[in-house]
Amino acid sequence: MVQRRAIQGGAVALVTLASIAEVNVTLYSDHITWQLTGPAGWPWYLALVDILPGSAFILAGLVAWSLRPRNRVGLLMIGVGAGLLIGSHAFEWRLAAVGFGPVVLDVVGIVGSLWPVVLLHLLLAFPGGLLVSRLDRVLVRLFYVVVPLAALLPLVFGSPGLGDVSQYLPVFDVVARAAGFTYLAFLAIGSGLVIRRWFLGGRARRRSMSPLLWAMGPYAVFLLLLYAALVLRALIWHVSSGDFWLVLLDVSPLFLAGVPAGFLIGLLRSGLDMSSVGDLVVKLSGGLAPEQLQPALAHALHDPSLEVAYWLPAQEWFADLEGRRIELPTPDSEKAVSVLGDPAGPVAALVYDSSLVHEGQLVDTAAAAVRMALENARLQVQLRAQLDEVRQSRARLVEAADSERQRVERDLHDGAQQQLVTLLLSLQATKTEAMRHSDPETARLVDANIAELKKALDELRELARGIHPTILTQAGLVPAIRSLTERCPIPVEVKGDLGDARLAPPLETALYFVVAEAITNAVKHSKGRRMCVSLGRGASLAAIDISDDGVGGADLSLGSGLRGLTDRVAAVGGRLEVKSGQPGGTTIHAEVPCE
Amino acid sequence: MPERVLIVDDHAGFRGVARRLLQEIGRQVVGEAGTGAEALRETRRLKPDLVLLDIQLPDVDGLAVAASLNAEPDPPAVVLVSSRDAGDYGPRLLGCGALGFIAKADLSAESLMALLEA
Repeated sequence: MVQRRAIQGGAVALVTLASIAEVNVTLYSDHITWQLTGPAGWPWYLALVDILPGSAFILAGLVAWSLRPRNRVGLLMIGVGAGLLIGSHAFEWRLAAVGFGPVVLDVVGIVGSLWPVVLLHLLLAFPGGLLVSRLDRVLVRLFYVVVPLAALLPLVFGSPGLGDVSQYLPVFDVVARAAGFTYLAFLAIGSGLVIRRWFLGGRARRRSMSPLLWAMGPYAVFLLLLYAALVLRALIWHVSSGDFWLVLLDVSPLFLAGVPAGFLIGLLRSGLDMSSVGDLVVKLSGGLAPEQLQPALAHALHDPSLEVAYWLPAQEWFADLEGRRIELPTPDSEKAVSVLGDPAGPVAALVYDSSLVHEGQLVDTAAAAVRMALENARLQVQLRAQLDEVRQSRARLVEAADSERQRVERDLHDGAQQQLVTLLLSLQATKTEAMRHSDPETARLVDANIAELKKALDELRELARGIHPTILTQAGLVPAIRSLTERCPIPVEVKGDLGDARLAPPLETALYFVVAEAITNAVKHSKGRRMCVSLGRGASLAAIDISDDGVGGADLSLGSGLRGLTDRVAAVGGRLEVKSGQPGGTTIHAEVPCE
Repeated sequence: MPERVLIVDDHAGFRGVARRLLQEIGRQVVGEAGTGAEALRETRRLKPDLVLLDIQLPDVDGLAVAASLNAEPDPPAVVLVSSRDAGDYGPRLLGCGALGFIAKADLSAESLMALLEA
């Protein structure tokens, strides 16, 4: 199919070239005769300057069109070539020679002035063939109107058809200057857009655009050197017409003849071939893990910027492999999107460089090859997203429970404990009064009540502390741990530090309860004589080890205390580990992520 | 030896008991306040020698009020009280510039005298 299309395209190209070549050969046969006999003299090499670049663009454009009929690059190249030929001096001379009037020549001149705009259009649309960016579209459309206007107006105001041209001279002057500025603005903005496109594009686009650089580079370098040489010569000697350097300037457009080859090579480089998809299938047969899918597709489609976005039906958004939400690029961006699967229930989307936009068929083929693997990966992403949701929900639950504990503790202190303390102080005042009135019996009774009340207060304080320790909120984890160890009946050594910056409250609470539970367990079951709490903090982790020299035998699978702690630490993204030998004591290691 | 005292606590019952205790040890209670903002305002107005200041206030933390009072020109002595233990506040108690701390359950003429005469 592709081969047949190439043969057809080649035939069309040869016929078209043959007809153009015939016209030009005739044209230049006349021209050379005229030049040989004419007084002004028109050197033969100008004929080459006029014919070669335009013909090369048309020829390469036809080849490109036949190779990629759906891509507008070929048509745009033919447009540039036609513009170059129509705008050439030779064509104008030929029209004049066969008797066309100035109006026809002006119209031809205006049409001929369009080729730089078509070239800019081509550069900005290359290699996909479409203007992707809105800015490019707006500016190119504007140039299609403004540049011919800039060519037309000076012709109108300088036309002999207006009668006495001298009265229009001031207007002509202004219009000519405006036209000059328009060309300058066009050149500056056009160059800016091309440079912007180069830098915004991914590797895939630069890969296809680089042959253009190789093709246009010599022309630019040659022009620069030539202008520099001319300026130097003008400064030192007088430059006369027919000067060798001026001749070089005249023939410089010949370099443009190499540019179409650059476009053609770039277009071919941007193209994908089935062999890369074949490689992909081979890789798939060897088993491809979900995380290898994106690199494999990127390699097959020659676009390292390619991303795979997986559709999550429950959430109704696209996510990356980790289950994190990602937004698909807008149609106006430099990225193109292919959504795979049923439109009502997509599987995934491929986000790739817009330069591949005309390779839809191959992108689809590559995507079809990995369809099953993509489906598997999507299920995995879905699972990860759900897991992430559960994890977040668990963290929220723990946080809610912690703030509830804090509220209960505060209520106990501010309510019941405050009332009991006031009662205690009143009883103490009553006792003082009784003693002052020499009533020892009453004083003794009140004293007994005071003792009971103090016991109740102590118990209430312990209860409140167990619910949520105030010192943890007030002073932080390390003072809270020290306060715990000071009340512990077994001597506890506290080593290390957790740095100056405090950890986030949920992390502090989780680690505090790990230490509290570990100490309680050691006191109850370990029969140990010493304990040690080691603290440490790295760049991304805070860790605590609580060890005792007791009988060991602690088991995560037995009892709800350690299991609850494991869940609590996991809820904040950390992990808990228990090492307990018989004998050999027990070490509980807890670590949480921190910044 | 501080003579004129301002009592700061949001519980009226505790303020009454504290007033009786202070009067018992011969101090003159010049005023009472229920919030941190009132405490600062009344201190500037009444110029007490001593402020008996609860840590758990409804608007501002008592430790912050103590630090603000300490920054006043000619600051009064501050005795902090709380229904919680000193251990619940850790090193924060040391840095606020207060004369001392008495847990409310331990508040008595003797504990106050011991602190004031120390």
